[in-house]
Amino acid sequence: MRRVIEGSHAVAEAVRLARVQVTSAYPITPQTHIVEILSEYCEKGALKARFLRMESEHSCLAALIGAQLMGVRTFTATSSQGLAYMHELLHWAAGARLPIVMAEVNRALAPGWNIWTDQTDSLSQRDTGWIQLYCEDGQEVLDSTLLAFRLAETVNLPVMVVLDAFYLSHTYEPVDIPTEEEADRFLPPYAPRFRMDTAEPCSFGALVPPGDYMEMRHDMALAMEDALMQLVEIEGEFTRIFGRRHGPIEAIDCNDAEIILVTSGTITSTARLVVRTLRERGEKIGLLKIRLFRPFPAAILRETIGRAKKVAVIDRNCSFGAGGIFAQELRAALCNLDPRPLIYGYIAGLGGRDVTPEVIEEIYRRTQSTDRPEAEGVWIGLREAL
Amino acid sequence: MSEAAMQNRLFIPRSCLTTEGNKTGSWRFLRPRYEDKTAPCAAGCPAGEDIPKIEMLTAQGFFKEAWETILQENPFPAVCGRVCFHPCEGSCNRGEYDDSVAVHTLERFLSDTAARYDFRPSFARLPSRKERISVVGAGPAGLAAAWFLTLLGYSCDVFEASPEAGGVLRWGIPAYRLPADALRQDLRRFEREGIRIFTRRPMDRQFFAEAAGRYQAVILACGHGRGQSLSIPGEMEVGVIEGLDFLRMIRASEMAVGGGTEAVIVNGAGCGRSMDTLGEGEAAAEGSEFPGKIGEGALSSFDGLTAVIGGGNTAVDVARSVIRLGGKAVICYRRRRQDMPAFADEVRMALEEGVALEELVSPATAGRDGEEIVLSLRQMIVAGMEGSGRARVIPDGDKMKEVRVRRVIRATGAGPEESWMLPAVEGTKVLALSHCRLVSGEGKLVVVYAGDLANATKSVAHAIASGKEAAIALNALLREGSEAVIPRLQACAVGDGPALSMEVCLGGERRLRSRHIVSYTEINTDHFGFAPRITQPRLLVEERVRSFAEIDLKISAGLAMKEAERCFNCGLCNGCDKCWLYCPDVAVIREGEARRIHYDYCKGCGICVVECPRNAMSLGEGEGEG
Repeated sequence: MRRVIEGSHAVAEAVRLARVQVTSAYPITPQTHIVEILSEYCEKGALKARFLRMESEHSCLAALIGAQLMGVRTFTATSSQGLAYMHELLHWAAGARLPIVMAEVNRALAPGWNIWTDQTDSLSQRDTGWIQLYCEDGQEVLDSTLLAFRLAETVNLPVMVVLDAFYLSHTYEPVDIPTEEEADRFLPPYAPRFRMDTAEPCSFGALVPPGDYMEMRHDMALAMEDALMQLVEIEGEFTRIFGRRHGPIEAIDCNDAEIILVTSGTITSTARLVVRTLRERGEKIGLLKIRLFRPFPAAILRETIGRAKKVAVIDRNCSFGAGGIFAQELRAALCNLDPRPLIYGYIAGLGGRDVTPEVIEEIYRRTQSTDRPEAEGVWIGLREAL
Repeated sequence: MSEAAMQNRLFIPRSCLTTEGNKTGSWRFLRPRYEDKTAPCAAGCPAGEDIPKIEMLTAQGFFKEAWETILQENPFPAVCGRVCFHPCEGSCNRGEYDDSVAVHTLERFLSDTAARYDFRPSFARLPSRKERISVVGAGPAGLAAAWFLTLLGYSCDVFEASPEAGGVLRWGIPAYRLPADALRQDLRRFEREGIRIFTRRPMDRQFFAEAAGRYQAVILACGHGRGQSLSIPGEMEVGVIEGLDFLRMIRASEMAVGGGTEAVIVNGAGCGRSMDTLGEGEAAAEGSEFPGKIGEGALSSFDGLTAVIGGGNTAVDVARSVIRLGGKAVICYRRRRQDMPAFADEVRMALEEGVALEELVSPATAGRDGEEIVLSLRQMIVAGMEGSGRARVIPDGDKMKEVRVRRVIRATGAGPEESWMLPAVEGTKVLALSHCRLVSGEGKLVVVYAGDLANATKSVAHAIASGKEAAIALNALLREGSEAVIPRLQACAVGDGPALSMEVCLGGERRLRSRHIVSYTEINTDHFGFAPRITQPRLLVEERVRSFAEIDLKISAGLAMKEAERCFNCGLCNGCDKCWLYCPDVAVIREGEARRIHYDYCKGCGICVVECPRNAMSLGEGEGEG
């Protein structure tokens, strides 16, 4: 059934269809709509879950770690400072191999206090062992969230479904909402591979000496690598049931492109428009959207854009001292190719600043007109010095 | 498909071995322990009642046990549940949080419940001793002394001048505050415990000579029953009535008819035959025919205005009684309302009932003008403060004021009936304690002055404190000699004293409590929520002024438990198990009612101590007893 709903609402619909059993919540703009809807669902009985109101995000995740360990499906949502506050437990959830799913609404970190979109919050959690999926629109939010449970439970790693603040979380779009029967066919009930059971008492997460720790971490690394193929496989099944596929990446007009734009999140939609317009004028431009950031789909990227002359990466984030984070990752993925494209890093749209078609075209023209990248990350659209 | 997926590997830290092998207790350098402490209310109660335990048991529905806990320290729960000025509530830690716990109302509830179900208490009592003690005066101090001496194994005979026991409880406090039935409820236990009370046995000096042969000690607790004169011109001529006599005469009417106070008093008939039978002194209300007139039924109405001189509880009791007799009353007090020694709540209710208050006036002369008395009053002004916090007043120049009244009743303080009842002030054989005075000079007979004779504060609670101190001190003196008295009293102190505990004296569990008084900052209020304090239900003011019926009404068990749940139980473990819940090492072991710490695993993090809502745990260095 197609309905016009908010991005936040799309998350909540997927959580309902996933028959989550425990959800924890601590309010933070722009995430709050998600848990508000879930609390209504819990109250009305549309979602038969225990809704835990916690005193902090740290406790939100701690509670889910406990609940998931008992063998139930769990979910929470947060943003920005809340995610930063969860940091310690993000590592714990992954290390404990608990398939928790979280919606992360990208929001800038303070100070200055800013509630608008910016990817630095989720990208600074890239080394925690969480799978990360970046969404472009409401449909993709719903589909990714539903898929996240299946993927997480397959590889026993937690998944973060990431969506832009306001541009996506608070924007109404038509979204096809599957029926419960369809969803159940895609996502069977959670069958934990291990759980806490008072009949067979065990301790989890206890001291591990050097002789074993590294093997456990290696297992996590293998599981993370495996997640890419698992995603492809699970999406195949998803497509058979729902008729949609988003893929770990999406390439538009990349085959013959000389310059390829690389985007993530809602900037992609704007970039599609720019690419179409410039193609009509005969420009050899392509667009690559990265949906799966962890695991980073390096091999697929090498195949898809390795033959281009120039790659321009638009980052709505910044790793101070090293430029945009997607650009860094891409450089690392392509550095051993010969020949390899030049990587141009651009930083734009921080703190919710609009990335318009004009901004994207400026990035394209700047890439086209310079022989070599001017810097690790070029800041686009800065106002004149105040 | 990758290696991991093919192998379906999941290598996680999971152990099915017990963690008991890891004795984390070896990490400890600080050691938590259960340590019950002293609640401020218990230390603030002159009788040293174990209030946190009383409220804990009440909240749990153990009403009999709660009532017995009162009785361990105070033989008068029915009385004190009505007339105590409850200093406990003033020191209640909960007062800093929202509102103090209604300890007074709950004490009344427990005594009501004990009466309703006819609870028979069980006591800790020492084996009988050969010494016999006589007690002079069956007021609260004398009776308390007899009670506690009985628990300590002595046999006691109590001698009382009046026809019924109770002292001020029976003859001084009006029935609307303390009905005779409530007093009798407490007095019945004295008989059951074998305490003999001889009424109509007034005291004289001869008594001592006789007592010396039969008793080892005399507790002298005959109270302050003789009112003090105003010492103003015209006092004798106009017939100023003594307030205590007035109150005593009204209470005497209850004897004649056995209840039905309202009808008899309002009609002013047939209520005073018993005046002749009261102890000597009662009928000797100086210069007044008035009590006799009521007694003979000659005064059929109590109309017109009555001036009441004084600002203490007796003045307020007199004025409110006048209202109930159909008259009007004005209290004339030389200081201001806030300086009145009377309980503020009593003053407030008196004003509600129509009593007028004339502040900053002092009687100068009285004269008769036909049926009326002209009372001239000197106007006073405040001239600084006294150390006690009351205003110091001086005459406001020559300014005078005149009131015309039908009668004047004075309530300006009282003293002992006979001057020899005053205790010796000093001497080698005189031991002056906080609430009583031991004199062991006259032959072998030890004399203990107690109650009003030795108390700075004249309240029922202080009288009970005096009786308890007299009993513990006398026991120490008789058993171990005079040197032992002070150390023995200190050993029984609640907190810093002077309140004493009979349970501690008898070797009960309470002796294990720390003397440390729990402060509000030591309460973990995160574990409590705001809850409104119960309001004492009372008769409407319209009903109150028509009769001497008791004003304070009963409360239900449900309300009582709810109110008792508000108690922080400062310093007293009530088995809430927050320690058990928060211990990260599962080192708190529950064994029935008891909790203990398993020191093999306690690594001394102190979370249990911090989380204990009521400071019943302590954290310290060293490896002492847990």
